[in-house]
Amino acid sequence: MDSCKVATKEWLNSVEYREKNFAREKLVINPAKACQPLGALLCALGVEGCLPFTHGSQGCTAYFRSTLSRHFREPVAAVSDSMTEDSAVFGGQSNMIDGLKNAHAVYDPKVIAIFTSCMAEVIGDDIGAYLGNTKEQGAIPQDFPVALANTPSFKGSHITGYDTMLKGLIDCLATPRQADKINDRLYVVPGFDTYTANLREYKRLLKAMDAPYTLLPDYSDVVDAPNTGTYELYPGGTPFTEMNDSLNAASYLLLQKYSTPTTSKYLTSKEVPVEAISMPIGIEGTDNFIQAVAKFTGKDVPEEITLERGRSIDAMTDSHQYIHGKKFALFGDPDLLIGLVTFLLEMGGVPVHIVCTNSTPLFKKAMESLLASNPFGQEATLYAGKDLWHLRSLLVTEPVDMLIGDSHGKWAARDANIPLVRVGFPITDRVNLHRYPIIGYSGVINLITMIVNTFLDEVDRNSTEAHFEMMR
Amino acid sequence: MFTNLTKLDLKDKKCMSDAGSPKLCMKALPGEGAERSCAYDGARVVLMPITDVAHLVHGPIACAGNSWDNRGARSSGSQLFRRGLTTDIMENDVIYGGETKLKESILEIAVRHNPKAIFVYATCVSSLIGDDVDKICREAEAELTIPVIAVNCPGFLGDKNIGNRIAGEVLFDRVIGTAEGSDEKIPLSINLIGEYNIAGDIWGVIPDLNNLGITLQTAITGDAKFDDLRSAHRASLNVLICSKSLTNLVRKMEIKYGIPFMEGSFYGIHDTSETLINIAKALGDPDLLERTMAYVQKREDETRKTIAGYKALLEGKQAILFTGGVKTWSMVSTLAELGINILAGGTQNSTPEDFQRMKELMDPSAQIIEDTSSAGFLKIIAEKKPDLIVAGGKTKYLAHKTRTPFLDINHGRKLPYAGYEGMIQFAKTLTRTVLSPVWGLLQQDFPPKEDE
Repeated sequence: MDSCKVATKEWLNSVEYREKNFAREKLVINPAKACQPLGALLCALGVEGCLPFTHGSQGCTAYFRSTLSRHFREPVAAVSDSMTEDSAVFGGQSNMIDGLKNAHAVYDPKVIAIFTSCMAEVIGDDIGAYLGNTKEQGAIPQDFPVALANTPSFKGSHITGYDTMLKGLIDCLATPRQADKINDRLYVVPGFDTYTANLREYKRLLKAMDAPYTLLPDYSDVVDAPNTGTYELYPGGTPFTEMNDSLNAASYLLLQKYSTPTTSKYLTSKEVPVEAISMPIGIEGTDNFIQAVAKFTGKDVPEEITLERGRSIDAMTDSHQYIHGKKFALFGDPDLLIGLVTFLLEMGGVPVHIVCTNSTPLFKKAMESLLASNPFGQEATLYAGKDLWHLRSLLVTEPVDMLIGDSHGKWAARDANIPLVRVGFPITDRVNLHRYPIIGYSGVINLITMIVNTFLDEVDRNSTEAHFEMMR
Repeated sequence: MFTNLTKLDLKDKKCMSDAGSPKLCMKALPGEGAERSCAYDGARVVLMPITDVAHLVHGPIACAGNSWDNRGARSSGSQLFRRGLTTDIMENDVIYGGETKLKESILEIAVRHNPKAIFVYATCVSSLIGDDVDKICREAEAELTIPVIAVNCPGFLGDKNIGNRIAGEVLFDRVIGTAEGSDEKIPLSINLIGEYNIAGDIWGVIPDLNNLGITLQTAITGDAKFDDLRSAHRASLNVLICSKSLTNLVRKMEIKYGIPFMEGSFYGIHDTSETLINIAKALGDPDLLERTMAYVQKREDETRKTIAGYKALLEGKQAILFTGGVKTWSMVSTLAELGINILAGGTQNSTPEDFQRMKELMDPSAQIIEDTSSAGFLKIIAEKKPDLIVAGGKTKYLAHKTRTPFLDINHGRKLPYAGYEGMIQFAKTLTRTVLSPVWGLLQQDFPPKEDE
């Protein structure tokens, strides 16, 4: 019995099994993606006074809330209209009517964001028509805003849900674009981003550059609220007036190029100027962001920011030797991966395995051309649509020095006996990481700190006395 | 800040039964924001701790993607149960059906992952698109040498409790009593039913059982091996730990296998001792009973001595208790043991019996929490201003926002609280929670008021 167990484990670590594992088509093992409605929920939290509302089974909402709550270590408010077996037969209209009535009365929101879970989508509920009937019946006032998004989890992933919900929120709350009412603001869309510090850092940089801006959505104060002694249900979010004016934006800057195509297309159809860039991680990524903002304002980049950039580059020179030539495996969402790989390449790090479960064709092309264009990218392979069990096979048959990804990577890292630096979502086994920005010039310093110090901790713990050193 | 649902007459007017307990496990109202999960989750909670089997979720990414390896049940052996296996149903499967995908996935798992059995969970989507999970499991099983067990638990069937019950049926129909060899009862052996080894709870109880000469056949299902579960019918006694979830199972086992059952709890000194004594009585061995009486006295003295320091620090604190199942009443006496009074108590997933027991144990002045939504919960905190809240993880961060010390006693916790050893851990953790200097920091005004 025991020998059989050992043989199995060895076999799972073999090249032979790796081949069989990669031939696996139907079964998914240890998925590295969450579902559409989870992303929609997070997006909805970022609008002032907005109550996220799942049209579907209540169990889904319980899962989203607990997953988000465990990552942010904050309460997450959301309701569902608790569809059950009878709704599957008769449709979910009465659930939606009762649900909206109750949620509106109990939680007093300014807007409700409805997104669907699978059940409602499979039975073909028409949420637009249901909403019309809800208002007709007087369950909620006629003029009460309700944003809609169809977000079945059998399509796309959490990043798709965020995108679809964002479009729904703008569509619901914005007044039509009018040539004589164009405002002076740059609307900045972070994309599915679970670092509250990233959102705050964007705001700091935009303010430093004297750019009139709106961060949309902005849940930084909602899932990272100060302790005041009272629980606030709606402690922040993109101001309602700025939502109303969101189609009159001077321009939009989308910071996750590959993750918000629906919003981008929608804005373009409304003749709103849109620019999409990669997530500003690393020096080049941040430079692109800063330049895009400077182009918008027409003002010089302030000295404060060039000095900051200088300090980050200085930090890179101080620590490049710890990353140069080291081999990395990474997994996560498309734009996060582009950013992290850009940063590693700048430091001379060598990405080897890149796993993206929720890859898209455009992202794949961009990642492959990024890798091909850089001498440090030559050893890398992007595994699109693969899971963390594939990643495990890669790590045990073709070893690297470090894994970068969310907490779900800890088993694969353990099996491969390498450190895991936690970047991404969800992070449920370390504290405060979402309170350190990984974007911008300060993000460069934070990433260096996390990666290099993890390597050095390993060195210290494992070194013999002869090689134990005060200086590293 | 919130409007209370009860006042809005949105709740069923008849929600108080004649016995004075709220209508428990009632369906959540649409839009009320209650913290309920679904039948699928309920089934998973019961079955997932079985360690050396594969748990395959036939559903879209929501069902497994949000829940794999998220429960804190621990295993002393195989870690196979923690692998997140799913068919990841996509749009094409919704259109064309997912049965082929499911079959291939089952075969792949059987060949490559060496499980003792495969549990296949149906979900909302697989059920709505008409995939016949039972049929596929039967077909796959015919080709394999291991059991392939369908768990028909689509989330839309209702709350967690329904899923618990379905899981109990599955264990009774497909697992228990299927072992080859003798069916004879093993003397002085018990099953612990509804004990899931959260944070390693069971490992705090087993040494005491062993010291008394009681054999644990298996827990259902904490740290359980499939083969031990198959022989669960050989136990002489079923001890029901989480009374809400598997009552149906023990009743059926009594009828079919003649195994008597009793309820018990290993939370707190009093309940641990009482449970051990009741086990000894039920096993009907006079020697064992005598041993147990002496043993629990010794363990109680030891434990009380160890926690005396903590008790001195906690004496007189006022708590709000909000939990489910056996902890509903067992935690009342556990907290009382530490000198803590209960200001208000509530429950979500308990039986009326659990609830009545809690009510009897609490001070008559203690309030019953009726509105179990976030809104209701916050209202009661604001009214009662407790020194601490003892509840499940979902309310943890709400409690923190109200600057109230909070202890998680449900599956989100990281430390075992069961048995005498668990009581020491509980006292220690509770003290650390209540006496943390951070609560003092939160009370300070900043900047300080000028007249101070």
